[in-house]
Amino acid sequence: MAETDMPSAPRRTAHERQAEVEALFTSIGDGAISTDEFGRITRVNPAAQGILGYSEDELVGTWFPKKIIAVSADDVPTNLIDRPITKAFLTGRPIAEKMFYRRQDGQEIPVSINVSPILLNGKPLGAIEVFRDISLEQEVDRMKSEFISLASHQLRTPLSAIKTYTHMLTDGYMGDLNEAQNKSLSTIVGATNRMNELISTLLNITRIESGTIAISPKLVKLNELVEELMPELELMATAKSIDLKLQLRGKGSTAIKTDALIVKEIVTNLVSNAIKYTPDNGQVTITIRPHRNEVQVEVTDSGWGIPKFSQDQVFSKFFRAQNIVKRETTGTGLGLYLVKGLLDTLDGKIWFHSEEGAGTNFFFTLPRTLPNKKSSSRKKAKA
Amino acid sequence: MAASQPDSVYDQVVQVTHAYLGPTADRFIARQVEDHLHKSPSELSQADLLSLIDWIKAVVSLLTEDGDIIEEYTNELRKLAARTGGKHG
Repeated sequence: MAETDMPSAPRRTAHERQAEVEALFTSIGDGAISTDEFGRITRVNPAAQGILGYSEDELVGTWFPKKIIAVSADDVPTNLIDRPITKAFLTGRPIAEKMFYRRQDGQEIPVSINVSPILLNGKPLGAIEVFRDISLEQEVDRMKSEFISLASHQLRTPLSAIKTYTHMLTDGYMGDLNEAQNKSLSTIVGATNRMNELISTLLNITRIESGTIAISPKLVKLNELVEELMPELELMATAKSIDLKLQLRGKGSTAIKTDALIVKEIVTNLVSNAIKYTPDNGQVTITIRPHRNEVQVEVTDSGWGIPKFSQDQVFSKFFRAQNIVKRETTGTGLGLYLVKGLLDTLDGKIWFHSEEGAGTNFFFTLPRTLPNKKSSSRKKAKA
Repeated sequence: MAASQPDSVYDQVVQVTHAYLGPTADRFIARQVEDHLHKSPSELSQADLLSLIDWIKAVVSLLTEDGDIIEEYTNELRKLAARTGGKHG
């Protein structure tokens, strides 16, 4: 049938439209609350009543902020100005956030909230807030992190035994080895090193995600810290005949108060990535630039680069660029995710410029001083 | 102050608001003008006032339950709109 012959949808009366909206509101699986322009609750669906533990009669007609209590991860009531519904009116735009709602029985539940102002000809008539209980999601996340943490610890024990015995074999404690045996052992050593790195990465990620990573700030000179890493990094570079350089640009001190171990992990990850994704005989340069309130580190490579269409996913978990997967089969796609997470814990920033076939420049900055970190929260509902 | 013209429409709105919101008045009104009217505070005109008041009322209604205060505040702003001949929309 031609499009013009299609029967037009029957026009709904105002009552029919009202019934349709009512049915839609009631049947939404997530909690939904609407308010008028005075912030008074006008409608509550059954899911919202279930999540909050209030009946419709207890909510309708009451002032939204008085009845729907929002608290932070530290049990502090959220400022009214910071509540998503207020922000929606402040900005005139939909707002999505995660926080905690206090049920009628006093229990606090993590919720994911989406709230939009209701507008008629540009005039705000109220708001509609849709929210869902994310307790189960958070519990699954926590259990997953715990499992990875436990599994990683358990994997480390047999790995230590493998490492010890392979070193004893290569060092000749169990007699001389022939060329084929040495070659096999070197493969075992390489594989156990890779597994060890993977376990460390997984452990670090679970610590970041659970907010339990320990930070020990000390005054360090960034150029000296990177110099300490150079022998290990040069070994990696030499294996691929890559020219690895470290340079200090600009005047001023590179001293910052930060966690040296975490910074070493960040630099090692970025430089080993650069070496890994640069063809033999290429170049990798580390440049340190002191600025007034921060120190910047740039890691430049002449590698394969990151395709434009993949660049927004670079810091995502398990991301591996298509052009790399074809060339380099090893790699977990966790390195840059970890680096971003580690930098976040140190209040650092990271960004990059890359062109496929022309190499990549990663930049990160670290502040001169590390603000006092809050102790890890027992709850977690950050967006 | 975000707008420096003395006695501009913006200054008058901030002055009224200061009595209710205190020192945050300037920032609050500037943000409302920018976000809802999509103009800079110095460009706030008479014709914008009633539309701006609708948004201000919606936000303030989520900051206090006291309907009398909200009415008083928005009436003060409406007086400004009437004085300057503001039109809705």
